[in-house]
Amino acid sequence: MSGNKELFKKVCDFLGCDLNSPPCQEIKEHLKKCHNCEIFVDKIKKTVEIYKKVDECDSLPENVSKKLYAILNLKNPDESITNTN
Amino acid sequence: MLLNYVVLESNNKKEQELVSKAKQRDKNALSQLVSLYSKRIYHLGLRLTGNEQDAEDILQETFLIMLKKINQFRGKSTFYTWLYRIAVNIGLSKIQSKKMKYHHFSIDDLDIEKIHSEHIHEWPKLDFKNVSTKHFKKKLDDALEELPEIYRTVFILRDLHELSTEETSKILQITSSNTKIRLMRARNFLKEKLENLVKTEGLI
Ligand SMILES: [Zn+2]
Repeated sequence: MSGNKELFKKVCDFLGCDLNSPPCQEIKEHLKKCHNCEIFVDKIKKTVEIYKKVDECDSLPENVSKKLYAILNLKNPDESITNTN
Repeated sequence: MLLNYVVLESNNKKEQELVSKAKQRDKNALSQLVSLYSKRIYHLGLRLTGNEQDAEDILQETFLIMLKKINQFRGKSTFYTWLYRIAVNIGLSKIQSKKMKYHHFSIDDLDIEKIHSEHIHEWPKLDFKNVSTKHFKKKLDDALEELPEIYRTVFILRDLHELSTEETSKILQITSSNTKIRLMRARNFLKEKLENLVKTEGLI
């Protein structure tokens, strides 16, 4: 049982790390034989994947950008490129 | 379209050059730094606060502070980590000033014993067309906003902005293990929300 507790701690730790990097051997072995954990980890991965997919990189609205440069008293370098073209 | 923050790493050298010019008040370098990070800072503000006006305020305040304090940047972290910290701090104080709107419960650790005793159903194969609809996105945004800020911030920095555990810990001034625990809880909370959506909407 105490061995399990150690392993569960490691699984929790893994779920707070980079999910794309492979887990340690011990977790790998466990996931291979434990269907519940395998599904659980997969669901966490899918959750992150879905959030990343739908999180569109909202572009900076033009009026927001204009106001920003005005307040900072700077010229938008991207604008001057298009102007010289 | 995916956010691609990994590119930041390879821009490190260019960033250092820009920063040293900007410290000499080179206007062109300052503008380029603004151009380089404004979109990301705006997005960060939008995700942190959930509204456009606050995001715009965060954006402006962050860069005003950058102009004022860039000479205090000592290069102990990367420049964008320094900038993110400024933006996050402004964002968090905004959230705290509007306390009632936000949720302050703490999230339990996942119960692995329970996971083992339950009958878990797999999710059907993902169809991103279905999850990219406006309706579904709104549900995901709502779930994210329900997350208490200490977890939401970590999720935004780690999973949406793809910062490392170390960078996130530096920005939030918490330990790496704290970052990991918060991220694990945030992911699990959102997974639970998604689980409900799968059941009620049958979208996945
Ligand atoms: Zn298991």
